[in-house]
Amino acid sequence: MLGGSKIVVGRSMLMLVGDNPFHSISHLSQARGRDRGDAISNADFAAGLVLSSMENGADGFMFSVSETTLSILETIRDTGRSENMRLYAIVPYAYEYVRLATQVGGISGLAKRMAKQVLFSMNFRAMAAGVRGVVKTDPVSLLKTYLFYEISRIRSSAPRQASLDSVLLHEIITEMALALNLDWLLKAYVDFMLKLGIKPGFETRNFAFLVRKFREWGMDFGKVVIATPFNKVGFQMNPSKGECEKALEEAAGSEVIAMSVLAAGYLKPQEAMDYIQVLRSLKGVVVGVSRESQARETFKLLEGSLKK
Amino acid sequence: MNSKNGDSRVRVAVIGLGKMGLLHASLLSAMPEARLCAVCDKSKLILRIARRIFRDVQVVDDIQKLADSGIDAAYVTTPIPSHYPIAKMLYSQKIAGNIFVEKTLATSYDDAKELCSLAKGFGGANMVGYMKRFSVTFGKAKDLLDNQVLGEVNSFEAYAYSSDFSDVEQGSQIGGARGGVLEDLGSHVVDVALWFFGDLQIGSAKLESVISAGSEDMASFNVKAPGGVEGHFDMSWCKKDYRMPEFGLVIHGSNGVINVDDDELQLEISKGQAGKWYRHDLGDNVRFLLGGPEYFREDECFIKSVLSKTNAEPSFLTASKVDYVIEQVRRNAGGK
Repeated sequence: MLGGSKIVVGRSMLMLVGDNPFHSISHLSQARGRDRGDAISNADFAAGLVLSSMENGADGFMFSVSETTLSILETIRDTGRSENMRLYAIVPYAYEYVRLATQVGGISGLAKRMAKQVLFSMNFRAMAAGVRGVVKTDPVSLLKTYLFYEISRIRSSAPRQASLDSVLLHEIITEMALALNLDWLLKAYVDFMLKLGIKPGFETRNFAFLVRKFREWGMDFGKVVIATPFNKVGFQMNPSKGECEKALEEAAGSEVIAMSVLAAGYLKPQEAMDYIQVLRSLKGVVVGVSRESQARETFKLLEGSLKK
Repeated sequence: MNSKNGDSRVRVAVIGLGKMGLLHASLLSAMPEARLCAVCDKSKLILRIARRIFRDVQVVDDIQKLADSGIDAAYVTTPIPSHYPIAKMLYSQKIAGNIFVEKTLATSYDDAKELCSLAKGFGGANMVGYMKRFSVTFGKAKDLLDNQVLGEVNSFEAYAYSSDFSDVEQGSQIGGARGGVLEDLGSHVVDVALWFFGDLQIGSAKLESVISAGSEDMASFNVKAPGGVEGHFDMSWCKKDYRMPEFGLVIHGSNGVINVDDDELQLEISKGQAGKWYRHDLGDNVRFLLGGPEYFREDECFIKSVLSKTNAEPSFLTASKVDYVIEQVRRNAGGK
């Protein structure tokens, strides 16, 4: 059944498979991402990697909602091997929308295209919220429309036994909302998701800034998931590794999931884990894998290090 | 900055709320030295949403309505063809004394030169959004070249590729709205080459249409830089498998080769040192990350220049050289 979240007990950290390799993303080097070729985006191959990771200790899958990842979920569903799979979905898949905006003539063109997609999805809750949003030009209603639409896409592709633990706002939305002081929008998002029984989440590469803003706005850290980079070399830990480590202690109670723990392949898994183990307030990690052997070895190592 | 209530922040207006306008508006809002006080766009839909999103910020549909807003600086993030008339209006009507324009500065070298003259007359900070200068990898390459690690530079190859239009329908006019591959994508790597090697003389050039008749989708041309350095550029926004735009240079010198792109720099020296640096090795963190660390550094540089009343780089004058190169490439390719 989709919905509801599980509690991470003690130091047994949540371990998730990330989807970056399936989109040919490498934050170390774009050439490296390209060199992986098309095979890794193939749903059968990617689904095999996710399942192999789960057999070796992973608890679930964190993914941006796109045609690629929805196909992977459908493939996993069809195998019938997805028991207890926990899903952490990131919306929107910004790359797809930025690219679409480029091709349809900017943000106005994108808005019109999105409206059509929602309409053709025949998701009546999304359409109802959408009408309110358009008539009143209400950002909260528009956000709800979009979330209804994305959640329905996930639910129609995900395995029945999987649990949609969290829907996280993509970093572009999170960072813009933080910068522009859109506390009312983020609070409305949190309330809306909690009513749906799904834990609201935020992906960010400005963790220290987010923690400072959330404290200012009186946000309840205990109710949200935060996915953000933590790694030994401070890669994408802004403004600095030290500030992010300090902020982690200040955000005690929140479900902070470390991304980029291998610093995009810059670090060896063992040295990466040595650092993560020290950060006692982290509740989980997400790691991408691109080969079967890597899935096996990485999650075995993670399980040994993080599920003691 | 010039506020009566003692607020020392730079009061900024962002004109054009597309992708780049939203990016700069957000970065400036996260910067304690700046205050976003106005936004301007022509689209009714965008304006309606902006009025709900931007609270305590003036939202207008006409630049002239900014005249009494007391802004210190304006960001022009509209489509390229409107850069020249908007920047000219900002100066001539004394709406803002410090102006940042997204690349390219103008659509012709003559217009770019006129903006340079206006900027010189006005005296404020002026800057164009060639953010690759704020990339740690390209910055490292510049340091190595300045320290003559490669010895005498002989030649370079530069490229700019993206898949933005690799799968659009034939006959689509959408690429044209962005001005073509030279302005949209190639201008960044032209600016980096000008920064590294100095003024460029354009030799043979070729422009190709892929999406529709007359669209500029691929470009290649040869150049000569001071000291007899020979260069070659290759650009395309129809290249497959370039998920994100990618820019790079391979630079050959008497002592070795530098291969640099957005992510990494490789140095091969015939005698002695060699090295490889990723972003990780080069101090890539910023106070606020959105879009890429280069954008924050770029905005930080501009705002600091406004506050300190000093020149920002790349200035209008520096950026006008890119417009000159683009114009010469078109001329040598037998176009406009």
